[in-house]
Amino acid sequence: MDFSFVTNLVCSACGKAYSVGEVNTYCTDCQTPLLTNYDLEAVRKHVDRDEFIKRPRGLWRWHELLPVYDPGNVVSLGEGDAALLRLHNLGEEIASHQLFVKDESSNPTGSFKARGLTAAISKAKELGIQKVIIPTAGNAGGAMAAYAARAGIKAHIFMPKDTPQANIIESRMAGAEVVLVDGLISEAAGMAGEKARAEGWFDLSTFKEPYRVEGKKIMGYELAEAFGWTLPDVIIYPTGGGTGLIGMWKAFAELETLGWLENTQRPRMVVVQAKGCAPVVKAFQAGASFCDFWLNAHTVASGLRVPKSFADHLIMQVLYESNGIAVAVTDEAILAAQHQIGIHEGIFAAPEGAATLAALQTLIREKWVLPDERVVLFNTGSGLKYLDH
Amino acid sequence: MGTNILYIEDNPDNMILVKRVVEAQGYTLFEARNGLEGVAVAEREEIHLILLDINLPDIDGYEVARRLRKSSKHTLAYIPIIAITANALKGDAEKALSAGCDVYMSKPINIHELRARVEGFVSVPKEQG
Repeated sequence: MDFSFVTNLVCSACGKAYSVGEVNTYCTDCQTPLLTNYDLEAVRKHVDRDEFIKRPRGLWRWHELLPVYDPGNVVSLGEGDAALLRLHNLGEEIASHQLFVKDESSNPTGSFKARGLTAAISKAKELGIQKVIIPTAGNAGGAMAAYAARAGIKAHIFMPKDTPQANIIESRMAGAEVVLVDGLISEAAGMAGEKARAEGWFDLSTFKEPYRVEGKKIMGYELAEAFGWTLPDVIIYPTGGGTGLIGMWKAFAELETLGWLENTQRPRMVVVQAKGCAPVVKAFQAGASFCDFWLNAHTVASGLRVPKSFADHLIMQVLYESNGIAVAVTDEAILAAQHQIGIHEGIFAAPEGAATLAALQTLIREKWVLPDERVVLFNTGSGLKYLDH
Repeated sequence: MGTNILYIEDNPDNMILVKRVVEAQGYTLFEARNGLEGVAVAEREEIHLILLDINLPDIDGYEVARRLRKSSKHTLAYIPIIAITANALKGDAEKALSAGCDVYMSKPINIHELRARVEGFVSVPKEQG
């Protein structure tokens, strides 16, 4: 049986098809992200959904639904299957009686970025790419460096100079060339793009290559499996570039096509951003399809300092399709929530993860989330990576 | 009368891409390959919207925006300007807006967003008829 049932790439806007056997970035016609297609009919025919749980743990147990043809090209550090924890204490405290956290801090390099980069680097290896470059708010750089090192691929990283020290050190420790930028990820993206064009580096920027989202989508498969092939009522997700949000929504669509879900009730997706950088929240409130570039972005949650995502229209699409909402929280609320989840549940969350708890409390007050709804927060990384704040 | 858009851009690939998009919408595109030429075209022609690259070979896009806003041709004081840059330098967006641009877009140019932004300022000619 085939290791992967991947078929092709298609433009998320115009539908133009691209080959998965060639190096591709984004749509050459309309310059929007590409998404990966699979022969889901064949997957349904050949794979039993209940087989996955019997396989060795990790993201690659879902290999039929990932884009790598040859198992020899998989570059893994043991990512995926992050714990889904019931938050009894915290749930009692805030009157959310079916509250869960998907704690992504157990991933290699301490964040959910490992999921996207295992997929992207594995596919890069399969396509014969020798050197990769990335602009990053922090954790994606650390993850790329680690997976590139394991794959024997050269890595170059541009990150803001005030990125948490852990991200800078881990990237250099894995042998990556790190350039600290006087600016935000948007400026880092410009510099990475220029270097990529000038020197032939392959740019792994969020959604400027098609495969990081494939790794991230597995969070959606894991949730469905953990909840007995049903989906939660509400997913609260900290959103910078939006790969995980878009990836999970893609997973839910695939699951529906596969016929693996017990019901077709999709979650309401909640985007959480910091008040100091909330382009999606602003666009959502305006009913817009695209975000304006956010000026003077600032927040303690470095992963949320993304003034404008390249895939903003896809983020907005998920919000509208899911009857979701976008919420901005203050840094004070993030830090208070970080302490709260630590005290009640023993989880040292990344500030981005803590932001989801702060947002939930707002949504409970506003009765947008009801006490008996099944709610999943995403803690996207370990608080241990942010000790300099 | 048609709706005229001026694109000030030295990169031929971007020029071709944008030309294809706006002409498909029914707009007429005027092209300028550098900042000074852009200011001259804006002052000479009846332009309704300007797309402005920031990294130009002579004067940069900020200076172009400032000159347009101070032009003796008074309509240029309030003509919509969309800045389009590779945002390779710190604070490009802030500088573009304070120089007088109305909106900031970064490259690569998502053509669906470009269409929406352009239509937000000047209505689609094909729909008028």
